[in-house]
Amino acid sequence: MLSRVADSLYWMSRYMERSDGILRMLKINYASSQDDIHEFSWKPVLQIFTYLEEKQADAIAHHSRAVLEYMVTDKENPNSVLNILTKARENARSVQDNITKELWQCLNEFYHTVRDERLVNWLHKEDPVTILDNLIKQGLLYYGTADITMARGDGYAFLNIGKFIERAVQSADILDIKFSDKNYDLSKTDTSYWKYLLMSISGYEIYLKTYRSGFDAKNVVEQIVLDENFPRSVNYSVQRLYIYFERLRNQRNAEGFQKLEFLIGKIRSRVKYSTTESIMKEGLHTYLSGLREELFGVAKTLDQYYFAYT
Amino acid sequence: MNDDLLAGIANYFSIFILLTRPAGFIPKTILMQTTELLNTYFVDSGTWDEMYKDTTVREQYRGVVQFMQDLDVEELNRKEELARRLFMSQGITFTVYSSGEGIEKIFPFDIIPRIITAAEWKYIEEGIRQRLKALNHFLKDVYNDQFILKDGVVPVEMIYSCPHYLREMHNFPVPHDIYVHIAGIDLIRNSDGTFYILEDNLRTPSGVSYMLENREITKRIFPDLLPRNNVRSVTEYPNILHRNLVALSPRQIAHPNIVLLTPGIYNSAYFEHSTLARLMGVELVEGRDLVVSNHRVYMKTTSGLQQVDVIYRRVDDNFLDPVVFNPASMLGVAGIMSAYRKGNVAIVNAIGNGVADDKAIYTYVPAMIRYYLNEEPILKNVPTYHLDNVEERDYVFGSMDSMVIKKTNESGGYGMLMGHVASEDEILRYRVEILKNPREYIAQPIISLSSSPCYMHGKLQPRRVDLRPYALCGPDGIQIVPGGLTRVALREGSLVVNSSQGGGSKDTWVLADQLNK
Repeated sequence: MLSRVADSLYWMSRYMERSDGILRMLKINYASSQDDIHEFSWKPVLQIFTYLEEKQADAIAHHSRAVLEYMVTDKENPNSVLNILTKARENARSVQDNITKELWQCLNEFYHTVRDERLVNWLHKEDPVTILDNLIKQGLLYYGTADITMARGDGYAFLNIGKFIERAVQSADILDIKFSDKNYDLSKTDTSYWKYLLMSISGYEIYLKTYRSGFDAKNVVEQIVLDENFPRSVNYSVQRLYIYFERLRNQRNAEGFQKLEFLIGKIRSRVKYSTTESIMKEGLHTYLSGLREELFGVAKTLDQYYFAYT
Repeated sequence: MNDDLLAGIANYFSIFILLTRPAGFIPKTILMQTTELLNTYFVDSGTWDEMYKDTTVREQYRGVVQFMQDLDVEELNRKEELARRLFMSQGITFTVYSSGEGIEKIFPFDIIPRIITAAEWKYIEEGIRQRLKALNHFLKDVYNDQFILKDGVVPVEMIYSCPHYLREMHNFPVPHDIYVHIAGIDLIRNSDGTFYILEDNLRTPSGVSYMLENREITKRIFPDLLPRNNVRSVTEYPNILHRNLVALSPRQIAHPNIVLLTPGIYNSAYFEHSTLARLMGVELVEGRDLVVSNHRVYMKTTSGLQQVDVIYRRVDDNFLDPVVFNPASMLGVAGIMSAYRKGNVAIVNAIGNGVADDKAIYTYVPAMIRYYLNEEPILKNVPTYHLDNVEERDYVFGSMDSMVIKKTNESGGYGMLMGHVASEDEILRYRVEILKNPREYIAQPIISLSSSPCYMHGKLQPRRVDLRPYALCGPDGIQIVPGGLTRVALREGSLVVNSSQGGGSKDTWVLADQLNK
């Protein structure tokens, strides 16, 4: 596979995963804002997903519609869903012959939906949940189409490597920011706060089934970092990353493969052999930032050994 | 990038449109049941209409007209909308970048097919086959023995003054002696229906993806209509091209590496490049994906370098190798020319073909056919005057208002003067320029183009069309897929038919011989 193509597939996939994360986050936070209209602040969301300065974030933190517009359709926001999808599509367009026609069409239609100029107006006047749901569905269509139509070759491996790196980083970020909002105080229990956090990454129902004893911050950490069956957990993402990377094993790029296998294996073991206790001992923030650094190290090494073409 | 599809000869139409005189409209009645759809169809006098002959619908159009009449305007509008949506969602678009933002545009599509009968096609096919054979001989000859120059059939000055004549191609045996692997030959019809060759595109002709996609759209908007009308299929095109590319591989291996070299996603024909790569299952590469080492071309892959055997390039000669041609080119591959000359990689089309589709050389193609093949040309040339010939120049200067003046080394509709609309000043300016560099200009009389029905705002209306069939030349001979790209001037009275100014395309049907039914 061409290095440029691998690079584009990887980034297309990262952007698609990111747009999914943002849309889910927006939907649940909007719902949460309706529960608690006075206390609710969009600030953590803006901190995770935008480059806004603190002042700028404060300025719109209590205006749901303004945040939605900024996060979904704003052309000036490099991380708006519109801009992320544009980047995903540009990447897809440059590798159109390496993804299936169905996948290309699905992504292309998603892009045209978000570009529709009426969307801004709808976000102001209509029910945002309906609109966000519709966008999330288009993303799901993308995932399903990739799953059903893409050949299980190197291209598929790079798609998944991109997807799971992005997801692992995202989950770690969300957890980190949400806890920093509470000053990493794990003793406090604020039921709706954790409920909405879990819902925003589709983990609420799993939580209820696993931990029947009500909300405990430690359990939330355990589910989002360590649960190997929760598809948005760091552990799950890293295990998947390892599996898809293994598929690239090849005599011809032995050096690059060994370097990356070492790095990914290290993260995998680190997460696998952590417990909530060991994480607390190390400090949640230290632990999560360490993970993030290592994931970025993987991305950088991929760039060097697999994607370099210029 | 010069893209002849989106601009190119489309401009040529404009001239003909102007000639139509509103006063010359003759209302037509037809023998079939007249409906709202047809009763506003007025063919300009002195124009060959593809659908009407005098007052009757030509036989080849009856199936379609009948089908259209059975639908109401609402249904037809829905079909038009469906076509638009299909183009958009499939990404059959080109992106226009303005103020940093990309805007997706569709190359306009008219839902009514342009229909060519089996007999017409047989004639076109034979004519193109003959012409291409002669042009290939010519390219081999001018880059090697130059018999045609020594015999004085084509003047030596014509060749050496042509900017597309590349000395780098001298005395180099291209694989199988094939220079033109893919040709897009532009045809027009004059008022009595005779086909004329307007232009030979022998470098990187574009538009074939629209031939293929337009057909796919027709299948969706008019179910069953194609088989019922006995329309020949065009889907073989990518398979034939792929077979020809495989056959060119210098290495005799089971699976040679074939790539399609594109200038990248910002090129207006990018959609075509990706479509062809997908349909042939070959890798779509950019210049930066390739590297030359030890006179071999490699592509940079995730598992190291892989040798490339055949390159179907959609990058112009001048940008192909910064070492040999334009040193500022970012689109090419340094050293590719040396790998080509060593025979380590095949390049399609061959480099230097521009000498054969130059607008001044065009005049000599009939002579080439007689010289190399000892045959009379089947398809006619549009009469062309050389302005470096004093007599011809005087004649042209005497009748500037019925002439179109074209610069020989420019395309895309640039460097053209339309005599009948040009101002005194413009004509004077051109005369001065022509006298300075007569070799750089040619003149042609203005010919009326045939018209074809288009669906517009609930009615059929005649619009001017041309035709570009695509010929493929491989070691086993020349094959022409029965079809092509019909370009159409969609805007009434429009002067320019650039895609940016109202030019569009149609699905082009070639009907099967009744005997084959």
